[in-house]
Amino acid sequence: MRRAILALSSTIAGLVLLLSFKIHIPGSTDAGTTAASGSAAGTGAGSADMAGAGHAGHAGQARREARKARPPHGAATRTVTGTVADTTYGPMQVQLTLAGQSITRVKVLQRTDDGAESDQIDASAIPKLINETLAVQSARINAVSGASYTSAGYRRSLQSALDQAGA
Amino acid sequence: MANTIRSRTAPLPRPASSPPPPAAPAGARRAAAPAGPGTAPQPAVARPPAASRPALWRAGPRQVLGVIAAGALGVAALWLSNAPPVTSLGDALTAAANILGLLAGYGVVVLVALMARLPPLERGLGTSQLSRWHGMGGRYVLSVIAAHAVFVTWGYAVSAHVNVLSETASILTTQPDVLMATVGGALLLAVGIVSARAIRRRMSYETWYYLHLYAYLGIALAFAHQFAVGGTFAGSLSNRVFWSVLYGIVAGLVIWYRIITPARRLARHNFRVAGLRQEAPDIMSLYIAGEHLQELRAEPGQFFRWRFLSREHWWQSHPYSLSAVPQPDVLRITVKCRGDGTDALRRVRPGTRVVAEGPYGAFTPAPGRRGVVLIAGGVGITPLRAMFAALPDTVGDRPGGITLIYRASHPRDIVFRRELDGIAATRGVVVHYLTGSRRELGADPLAAASLTRLVPSLHRREAYICGPPGMVDTVIASLRTAGMPRRRIHHESFDF
Repeated sequence: MRRAILALSSTIAGLVLLLSFKIHIPGSTDAGTTAASGSAAGTGAGSADMAGAGHAGHAGQARREARKARPPHGAATRTVTGTVADTTYGPMQVQLTLAGQSITRVKVLQRTDDGAESDQIDASAIPKLINETLAVQSARINAVSGASYTSAGYRRSLQSALDQAGA
Repeated sequence: MANTIRSRTAPLPRPASSPPPPAAPAGARRAAAPAGPGTAPQPAVARPPAASRPALWRAGPRQVLGVIAAGALGVAALWLSNAPPVTSLGDALTAAANILGLLAGYGVVVLVALMARLPPLERGLGTSQLSRWHGMGGRYVLSVIAAHAVFVTWGYAVSAHVNVLSETASILTTQPDVLMATVGGALLLAVGIVSARAIRRRMSYETWYYLHLYAYLGIALAFAHQFAVGGTFAGSLSNRVFWSVLYGIVAGLVIWYRIITPARRLARHNFRVAGLRQEAPDIMSLYIAGEHLQELRAEPGQFFRWRFLSREHWWQSHPYSLSAVPQPDVLRITVKCRGDGTDALRRVRPGTRVVAEGPYGAFTPAPGRRGVVLIAGGVGITPLRAMFAALPDTVGDRPGGITLIYRASHPRDIVFRRELDGIAATRGVVVHYLTGSRRELGADPLAAASLTRLVPSLHRREAYICGPPGMVDTVIASLRTAGMPRRRIHHESFDF
């Protein structure tokens, strides 16, 4: 019994400690959802298009970007387009804008097109994926709940774009 | 350490260190041991010099726990290296689920490794200690898996603004490999449930053992979803490689030590039943002949898992301790027939091939010159019989430096009486036979008062106890009462 309590409390302590490294006071938490409702209206190419600058409220995120990217002033801004990733519900394709090695903008050129449900799922998922991409500055992102195919396709296209960019 | 013991026992006279000839029909014995005249009946003449052998590596409990803890920190670092920022309640729950999932994925690897029959663990910690850790760790990992499932569902439900039930359905049906992982988790849970003490007792060892194999399937089923949905792995090739290597190494160890090693030993040592001998109405000794047995580096007090390759027995394997000091050409085990297939061992024919997995167990004499008390209950005498003959002379030098106490409920249950008396006489040490039920005796002969009376300076000795679980507990309590520190009490019971 004493061991059980010890195991439980140390696990919880470990969890809280780990999470505390990643938690940020939500200032711009709703950016994703707002963008989602906004982009739900548009369909097809270019429906979700966000710039990284909008998320400076995340202290850790900003630090991470700063650390990862360290973009020199006047670094060439370039655009790379990922390959089309086919999913069960249609194609996914992203286009990145990079300043030096840092991703400043993600544009979704093509997204799944399997009817209204597809639209709805993408509308809420894509902003989250983009947010996370800008935060993590890589394709190492979690799948969005309920949008696993979209997430997987997005990730593949994103990875191919990053590969091309040499990031 | 082991070497010292072995070389010290080498010059002992024959009755002490080598088992008497088996009572097998001569023809059968010939058939069983074609290796020449040096089979079972002969004493061990040529023991290899101890000096030429490197010491065996024994892992201590602190080292093992240290490695496990370091691995857990590594898992935490793996998560930190790659986790997105947490900005909402849903994120926090999902992140917690991620960490718990990683912890569970790491935990199952540790649990399997503990049971992979790694020689340093088996010699250092011993099988009973490992089993206890595995049991405790198993309960912990199952709880972590359950918490992981709860947090994933909850976190996703919060993020997606839907209720938990529909989110559960959505996760199971849409997330890749998650359904499979759920089945895997359920298998692990089922394995955990049948291992709960109350249920385990109602099951035969084999049923429980074969059900336990489903744990491997469960782990395999749960593997894919870690890469498919887990953010730590999905986007990071290096993390995926690292994780796969971790799983691969442990799988390799299991295959090597649980499958390949026994098979190689069967080929190399050619174990066969050389003979059987009735020791008491329901206790029987089996002599197992083999070649190059010194290479196994078995020590008195250790056991092997024996699988007799006859039509009746091949599918079950039983742990039995060596009941005599191991010889280069023969090992002896002594078995109490009490159902569960052990009864059928009476019908094993000499010449039957045997798979011997081992040696296992850390119930071996600790180094040192301290006096020793060996306390056996019933058939628990077997490992102590081997130790009794093998304890270094340095211990026996002082008069009464070794005392054996042998508890049995009836005088006819005493086995090896002649051997034990022979060893005692040769070495000038003491054996006490305590027979009769507690009611007949009027008191428990294993109570602290009685033990203190029997054994001079009891609390200053090193104690080795083997017997049924209840008896072992009683003796431990008595010795503690008599003032013996816990670290000097070594025990083994038959409950694994």
